[in-house]
Amino acid sequence: MNGVHDMGGMHGFGPVEPEANEPVFHAPWEGRVLALRRGLGAWRKWNIDAGRHSIETLPPADYLRMSYYEKWLASAIKLALGAGLITQRELETGKRDPSVPVATPPLTADKVLPAIMKGGPTHRETTAKPRFAAGQAVRAKEINPTGHTRLPRYVRGRLGTIERDHGAHVFPDSNAKFEGEQPQYLYTVRFSARELWGEAANPADAVYLDLWEDYLDVA
Amino acid sequence: MIDPRGVLKDFGLAVPDDVAVRVWDSTAEIRYLVLPERPAGTEGLSTEALEALVTRDTMIGTAKVTP
Repeated sequence: MNGVHDMGGMHGFGPVEPEANEPVFHAPWEGRVLALRRGLGAWRKWNIDAGRHSIETLPPADYLRMSYYEKWLASAIKLALGAGLITQRELETGKRDPSVPVATPPLTADKVLPAIMKGGPTHRETTAKPRFAAGQAVRAKEINPTGHTRLPRYVRGRLGTIERDHGAHVFPDSNAKFEGEQPQYLYTVRFSARELWGEAANPADAVYLDLWEDYLDVA
Repeated sequence: MIDPRGVLKDFGLAVPDDVAVRVWDSTAEIRYLVLPERPAGTEGLSTEALEALVTRDTMIGTAKVTP
């Protein structure tokens, strides 16, 4: 979707303000939100791409105002309500709704570390042959999907070169809609800074972006 | 994205015009690791001595390793 999250190339956000000795969490509640999200995710009522899309679909003004973990919490609430893991009444009262049966959480303390160590690799085996090869010229498609996509606006319609083939990976666009993993080839594509930003860019500079096969046309 | 040299300057790192800047826009399936450039004159240092030179910022590409 052409959402507020797709910020590549935007101006006006001010300078980066690096924080000395930045802590992992700025407040204990941030760690709780991280744990909450992991615990909710273990129910497998949604996948990581649907989770990301729920952050993208926060109201734009909220998205810009909220901190990182505030977005995580707002999105977790949306997802949990949507999946029926909590009820509106429970959210408002902070107490269990007695009319809802109690379920055993799938993530117990002993399973947390192994789950984190395992991660969530998206690489999948495929018998399909890659459509593109390293060194080949490609053009990013001019498409405007309303769902989740990893094709940022700044690159649509632009000319690039295949840098590397990463094999087949889960296609986030379909996975976010619960339409299956539909794995397809993922490539690092090189775009010169001048192709993206014009003649003012340094001619030696470039942007490297990982793009799925469906995002690309032969140039 | 549009001004990587400006962003690095915000972190206090000035990149000369004759050094190419390659921005890797991670889309999350592939994660990238920054390998800091080895400073001149450190060839004789032990692993432990080299480790002591590495900081968080050198590992995220916003600072150069200084001996």
